[in-house]
Amino acid sequence: MSVTSTRAVFVEAPDDLDEFNRFCEERRWGDGLPLVPPTQERVRRMLATVNRQPDEIIAVIPPGFGAATVEHIAINAVLAGCTPDCMPTLIAAVDAMSAREFNLQGIQTTTNPVAVWLVINGPAAQTLGVGGGKNCLGQGARGNATLGRALRLIMQNIGGALPGDMDRATQGQPAKYSFCCAENEEASPWEPLHVERGFARDDSTVTVVGPAGTTNMNTHDKNADEVIRVFAETMAHPPSNDYWIGGEPWIVVCPEHAEIIHQAGYSKAALKQALWQQSKMRAGRMAGKDFERTRYSRRGELGEIGPDTMLPISVKPEEIGIVVAGGPGTHSVYLPSFGDMRSVTRRIG
Amino acid sequence: MVSTAFVTLGKAQAKALGHPDLPLAVIPHPFGRRTRDEVRGIAEQCVAEIVKLVEGKA
Repeated sequence: MSVTSTRAVFVEAPDDLDEFNRFCEERRWGDGLPLVPPTQERVRRMLATVNRQPDEIIAVIPPGFGAATVEHIAINAVLAGCTPDCMPTLIAAVDAMSAREFNLQGIQTTTNPVAVWLVINGPAAQTLGVGGGKNCLGQGARGNATLGRALRLIMQNIGGALPGDMDRATQGQPAKYSFCCAENEEASPWEPLHVERGFARDDSTVTVVGPAGTTNMNTHDKNADEVIRVFAETMAHPPSNDYWIGGEPWIVVCPEHAEIIHQAGYSKAALKQALWQQSKMRAGRMAGKDFERTRYSRRGELGEIGPDTMLPISVKPEEIGIVVAGGPGTHSVYLPSFGDMRSVTRRIG
Repeated sequence: MVSTAFVTLGKAQAKALGHPDLPLAVIPHPFGRRTRDEVRGIAEQCVAEIVKLVEGKA
């Protein structure tokens, strides 16, 4: 495998910000929004936050197989407007994204709208200004906005997934600009994601996930079984990649729904089990061609599949991802997945 | 082997992997709405080209 240069090249660019942005646009270095010039001084400030050599390769990023060195990551972090203390999180995120089970090659080149979602757990969320409360998947917090944006620029500028060229997305989704939030650990009645995955509560972690979109689930019901039922019925939609391959769907449970479900005696594992059971979908609901495809793709797992076979959304209940996030309100979010993707969690720092 | 919609990706990725001149067998896109017989017809049209590629004669 050939790898592009491991040292950044110094390029003279215009001082004027408008001219600088035109310069970048001509070279397709951006995402369409104005960029922060990665001057040597700004890049140096980024590099000063980590005890690593600038030319250390963290990962080689498909589909262009560019070397994501510490320095290349720092340059894209500056372009995205990150504060220097974001560097350890970005390094961990790049490392996580390159794990084989995440299937970055597929995520980068597919026609599917899949975006990479960063979930931050532990004390780093507060330090970096990454929100997990009100409007955490929306605009407003610098950490959410810039960390997600930096990762996208890394995927595009280092990985070479330029829209319309190697990034073959049919429409993509707005989350491809930035997709990052924290878990609202204080408002969660359950163990947070990183503890569920074996880290200590005071560890900071980043988790990379590959959702195909976000769907609002608004219910004012105070009965846990009713809330779980509408979650499960929302998950069971025939064009989801999750059903034809056995995927890893995610739910962002709002604190109010989490409290109702917890009060009814559900642990996180019990909630996953209930969702997995109740979201089983009759295979015949799929379009004919998709049903045929599923018959082949899940035969090894489920045996012979007929129209009345009840397809589980994931191979195992544990593969349904759950985090608690958001502010007051009765809105939880369903995130169907790319399907052929397993999320990966890495310690920050 | 790539469908027409993925030729750009195939060429760019071959170049990134150090094989800029890698010959590609191109098949029409999309596949999804074609019948099995149509897919078989496409396969029959392409097979000679693919055999040449595999044998390194293209």
